[in-house]
Amino acid sequence: MPSVLVVDDERAIQRFLRPALEEHGFRVIEASSGRMALELCAAKKPDIILLDLTLPDIDGLDVLRRIREWSSAPVIVVSARGEESDKIAGLDQGADDYLTKPFSIEELLARVRVGLRHAERAAKDPEPVYVHGDLKIDLGARRVWLSKTEVRLSPLQYTLLAALARNAGRVVAQKQLLRELWPDGGGGPEALRILVHQTRHRIEKEPVRPRHLKTEPAVGYRLEEPDV
Amino acid sequence: MSLTARDYAFSLAAPAVCTGAAFLLSPLLTLTDLAMIYLVGSMAVALRGRRGPALLSSLLGVLCFDYFFVPPRFTLHVDHPQYVVTFAVMCTVALLTTHLAVRVGAQAEAAKRAEIVAETEKLRSSLLSAVSHELRTPLTAIIGSASALLRNPAAGGGLLENIRDEAERLARLIHNLVETTRLESGAALKKEPHSIEEIIGTALERCGKLLGGRKVETDLPENLPLVPLDPVLMELVFINLIENAARHAPAASLEISARERMDALEVSVADDGPGLRPEDSSRVFEKFYRAGGAPGGMGLGLAICKAVIEAHGGEIRAENRAGNGVAFRFTLPRGAR
Repeated sequence: MPSVLVVDDERAIQRFLRPALEEHGFRVIEASSGRMALELCAAKKPDIILLDLTLPDIDGLDVLRRIREWSSAPVIVVSARGEESDKIAGLDQGADDYLTKPFSIEELLARVRVGLRHAERAAKDPEPVYVHGDLKIDLGARRVWLSKTEVRLSPLQYTLLAALARNAGRVVAQKQLLRELWPDGGGGPEALRILVHQTRHRIEKEPVRPRHLKTEPAVGYRLEEPDV
Repeated sequence: MSLTARDYAFSLAAPAVCTGAAFLLSPLLTLTDLAMIYLVGSMAVALRGRRGPALLSSLLGVLCFDYFFVPPRFTLHVDHPQYVVTFAVMCTVALLTTHLAVRVGAQAEAAKRAEIVAETEKLRSSLLSAVSHELRTPLTAIIGSASALLRNPAAGGGLLENIRDEAERLARLIHNLVETTRLESGAALKKEPHSIEEIIGTALERCGKLLGGRKVETDLPENLPLVPLDPVLMELVFINLIENAARHAPAASLEISARERMDALEVSVADDGPGLRPEDSSRVFEKFYRAGGAPGGMGLGLAICKAVIEAHGGEIRAENRAGNGVAFRFTLPRGAR
């Protein structure tokens, strides 16, 4: 049974997270402060960590940094809307994903599932084929299909999709995408937005309401969790 | 308020100008009349309400007057003691004028501050009453539904949905309030070139449950240019327009479109609901105005839309469509590229 360390000092949040996670087959470990989180993280070695960034004793980002010194367990940072810079800093310091308060149980479970799968897969070979609805990306053959029809993409458009598909289900920060797309620093946020726009018009039936390539406002982009 | 170089420039210029004028007029006027010219000069400087420059200016005036006109001319020497009196009067008048100007200025400023405080108070109290009413409504629904469920857990899904929907309404309200405060505190917009299609997409995603099964049609040319905008605020505009349509035209379908114009993007969010009453169309963007006594809402959403669009240098208007329903149209300048 996978274990989740839930770090949050709000009783109300703990009270609804525990039954929701237990119902879906997780063992829940609770920590109500940063210090307690670090102790429990070392003692219980949780499979995944849900870390609220606002804690009574230590700054959540510091907790994250200290966990990352010796643990590679996936960390999902939780923060409120309007604190986008915290999320970006969290991703920068090794968080795997983020959740925005208020979030739904479905969102939470999806993030946890993706986090665990990536941690598991990091040990094994990467999945060579991504399938989500009518979209299929073959990372080995570097080819993309939409409803069985092959889609012609520019090399840059493919690089974008491949970077997102390797992290399928997880947010990929804008900064990381810029690094992968233009390693010599050629592009910028504006070029990335244009590239995403063009790519959506190739792989989405209704680009304004994308089903695969989602925007995470102010943070980055996410390719939806693949079909099982 | 700090003294500026400008103030001192004035205090130097005034005696110079007065000396020039006095030279021109000296064939026509007596010596005492010439002193009046200097008096006018130092009063003009004094009216600016800065003590230091005013004093400097009147002293310089006295020296110039003495040097250039009081016999023996072109020396600082004074033959007749009566001129010492003239000098003293010149200095006194300048000092008195400065003193009065400073006081009047301070009073005007205090009055202006009091007015701003009163206005802010008024706005704050109406905002507070609107907000507390608006917060209480969903809270009442949440508390009521939750206690009904606690008494009878079998009471079912309707109550649970009620709790979730009302809590989401609260979340939207708080988001609106936070962003309004940011806008009103004069914080700079975080403008960057963005794709309007992407902003509309994230707004639609966030409004998913609010829209229910309602049909949303979008008409956005693929080659629309990026426009400089604040993505969070602009998303809020779309969320508020969508929420407004959902409230006033519950069964209607929605149409969102954008067109490229000469120097701006023109965006329209339209529904095919009952439309606006004539008396509403000019007032819908007012704060706390609730069109047609419609249920829910506190008349903040559209006011925020207007504030955001205007902060971007655009314009927004509401008009009934030819068939039925209402269209909100706004422009977003493309900016210097």
